[in-house]
Amino acid sequence: MNNTEEKIEVKEDEKHLLLDHNYDNIQELNHPLPSWWNTIWAISIVFSIGYFVYYQFMGGPTLVEEFQTEYSEIIVKQTEFKRKESLFDDSYYQKIIADGGLEKGKEVYEINCLPCHLKDGVGDTGPNLTDDYWLIAKGTPESIYSVIFNGSEENGMPIWSEVISKDEIYQAVSYVMTFKNTFKKGKKPQGEKIVDK
Amino acid sequence: MSSNQMRTGKPETFTYDDEIVKKFVIATLLWGAVALLLGVTIAFQLAEWRFNFEIPWLTFGRLRPLHTNAAIFAFCGNAIFAGIYYSHQRLLKSRLFSDVLSKVHFWGWQLIIVSAALTLPFGITTGKEYAELEWPIDILITVIWVVFAVNFFGTIIRRRERHIYVAIWFYIATIITVAVLHIVNSLEFPVSFTKSYSLYAGVQDALVQWWYGHNAVAFFLTTPFLGLMYYFIPKAVNRPVYSYRLSIIHFWSLVFIYIWAGPHHLLYTTLPEWAQTLGMVFSVMLWMPSWGGMINGLMTLRGVWNKVRTEPSVRFMATAVTFYGMATFEGPLLSIKSVNAIAHFTDWIPGHVHSGTIGWNYMLISGILFYLVPKLWNTELYSKKLAHQQFWLATFGLVLYIVSMWVAGITQSLMWRAMDDAGRLIYPNFIETVIKIVPMYWVRAIGGTSVLISFIIMMYNFYRTIKQASVKEETIYEAYALDASSIEAHASAHRKLEGVPMIFSVLSLIAILVGSGIEIIPSLLADKYIVKVSAIKPYTPLELHGRDIYIKEGCYTCHSQTVRPMAHEVVRYGKASNAAEFVYDHPFQWGSKRTGPDLARAGGKYPHMWHYKHFWDPREMTAGSIMPRYHWLFDQKLPYTGIPAKMRVMQKLGVPYTDQQIASSIDDAKAQAKTIADELAQSGVPAKLAEMEIVSLIAYIQRLGIDYGSVPDEPAQEEK
Repeated sequence: MNNTEEKIEVKEDEKHLLLDHNYDNIQELNHPLPSWWNTIWAISIVFSIGYFVYYQFMGGPTLVEEFQTEYSEIIVKQTEFKRKESLFDDSYYQKIIADGGLEKGKEVYEINCLPCHLKDGVGDTGPNLTDDYWLIAKGTPESIYSVIFNGSEENGMPIWSEVISKDEIYQAVSYVMTFKNTFKKGKKPQGEKIVDK
Repeated sequence: MSSNQMRTGKPETFTYDDEIVKKFVIATLLWGAVALLLGVTIAFQLAEWRFNFEIPWLTFGRLRPLHTNAAIFAFCGNAIFAGIYYSHQRLLKSRLFSDVLSKVHFWGWQLIIVSAALTLPFGITTGKEYAELEWPIDILITVIWVVFAVNFFGTIIRRRERHIYVAIWFYIATIITVAVLHIVNSLEFPVSFTKSYSLYAGVQDALVQWWYGHNAVAFFLTTPFLGLMYYFIPKAVNRPVYSYRLSIIHFWSLVFIYIWAGPHHLLYTTLPEWAQTLGMVFSVMLWMPSWGGMINGLMTLRGVWNKVRTEPSVRFMATAVTFYGMATFEGPLLSIKSVNAIAHFTDWIPGHVHSGTIGWNYMLISGILFYLVPKLWNTELYSKKLAHQQFWLATFGLVLYIVSMWVAGITQSLMWRAMDDAGRLIYPNFIETVIKIVPMYWVRAIGGTSVLISFIIMMYNFYRTIKQASVKEETIYEAYALDASSIEAHASAHRKLEGVPMIFSVLSLIAILVGSGIEIIPSLLADKYIVKVSAIKPYTPLELHGRDIYIKEGCYTCHSQTVRPMAHEVVRYGKASNAAEFVYDHPFQWGSKRTGPDLARAGGKYPHMWHYKHFWDPREMTAGSIMPRYHWLFDQKLPYTGIPAKMRVMQKLGVPYTDQQIASSIDDAKAQAKTIADELAQSGVPAKLAEMEIVSLIAYIQRLGIDYGSVPDEPAQEEK
């Protein structure tokens, strides 16, 4: 052994716990396992066994079953909402317009619609909204409301009723109506030509 | 000291190889700085994407794997080797087995690190977290690890101390388990020198990967450091270790239990639920065994707490053990399913990881180095004052890091799941939840910078210390050769076991194989529980290439591809994932973090044009996005001729491509690319796009979730 090693400090009350091994001047005491440590460990093991047995052998709900319960409640709420709100209500629309809907609609448009329909509705990823050709809407507030509310999967239009509020949809409709037949230079016409009577 | 006093026999003289320890110490310091600098870089990139300077190899997806590999294998790896080689010789009273092997080990390991630095930033990656290195480097790692093992066990064979001390138990468990983990997880089939596909697919790949990933934390960042703690804390304070009995119990329980916990990274995925539950409950049972190490570390300081104030090495080590205690409480907590439901995929997880890597590993390494450097270079530490400044900067930075990530993670998670009375998401736009937490990304980056500065201070401190080194004559040690006189006839069973290290090693191997086998083997017999869904087909040739771009760019570092069975996720993304969806995914790409949204249902969600513009500049489509631009994919030619080779490997791995499909793959890929390019051309995109990489990536993204989406909604297939 190297005799320059410092002496190990052993307290009076632990001398009896000192083991006789010495590894490179490291020694070990042999304190008993702390009782709180034993207790918590035992509890964690009992809990774990119980948990595993309950969920794997005693018919505890699986994650998928728990999800299905949770999800069916959401579906009920969504269906109720759609039933109530998917129909266009002209008097509500007029109220929204009277309430400064156009200005708010511009904001809604800029946050949500701009990436695809661009400024002034000239179209890009989505169709040009300034011409008199229409893909699914018919150029009426009612039909535009329906397209925004329900989306169009084949045309890449999201279901906006899942994203923005009912009022915001009405506001957006009022703003989009201002593009109609402004014939701005933009994306080529798509869909069917619809001339207002 | 009876075991020594009773010894008789032939006294022998010998020396220790400290030169190799010095080399590993220097490497630890250099790579530590690199790892932290990389971490700080990518932290700033999350706060402000322009910090990638729009250079491909500086983007987050490429640098994040380099950061994790550098921190774990370069920084911690070199530190482990330094500490083990120093203590192993002294605990066994024997010079390392072979100076040549030591040198091969050192330079081989540095070569691995340099290889990582020369491949990962350039997108050469397997796409499996913490195991991103490609197959030639994997083989090199295996060879060098074997060199290390031979050197290590060779030293044991030549020992002059019969019984192996607790530190060595932990080293043994480390060496054996890391070898098993690395080999099993790295099984892959090469396509070329720089590209391979994992042997496993989907759920199996996920299980093997997280068995590996979790136990890389366990057996690379925990057990070797516990071993080092058991050597360096008692040495630094000259106190006996608190409880030998606790050492035995917590060593065996830790090694046995840790290996089972991997599936807690896969809760709520399509991994069979019994495996998920095992992952959770074993994590809970792991809490006290982990704390056994903390108790032994901290209680050894009994009566000498004043040294925490005065001695940098003690201060750092005591803090490290405290953070270890915190992290090993947080870990089991995060493994509980209902907590995991909130925390998983959020910033809480990187916060947790860093309380381990900075709080435990960096702090413990610092403590060890403050002990080692003056001894190795035979001098005094240059400045205790600098060491204390380093300590406060590191602690301050770490606390900023942890707290900001708690806030970010919990805030974002609550926003993801918030729903109104109409059953709609309150924050349906993912980006809203990102913008909200960007301030926390700044706080984290500042915290990380503080940790980096603390590390640079330590480097300077050691530079000055080593500069004033004095030449030391090599110390000659003396001990008795190992003979029968050291056998203790009436020793306890465990003490006897400590005298037969090879049996000890075999028992450790068995301890880790039990959990591994029970969890992994059933999954390899996967046909039993993955209900095949006929609508799910392999990727087209173009999509397969696009998937490789996805892997190359490290998209999985920010995007997940698995929808958990939770109402808010299904409302946000679409149908919950099914195990059958992933059977052709070599490797799986579920990811572990949602810095961006999940992509499992991204296919068909937006038109091609949306993706075209989004990859060009994400902010064109999503204001406030923090995703990098991928403009180089618009200029890089798509190497169509390489596709058949990829498909042939996939075919060997069991993907049902026919020879006919492989033969026509180039033409098929070109045709599909043309369809996409033609559609884009209508919006004025140049026609040459069909030749560029970006087309394949768009094709891949547009395929995600399509096949399973066509399957009518039924109660999800149960896999029990």
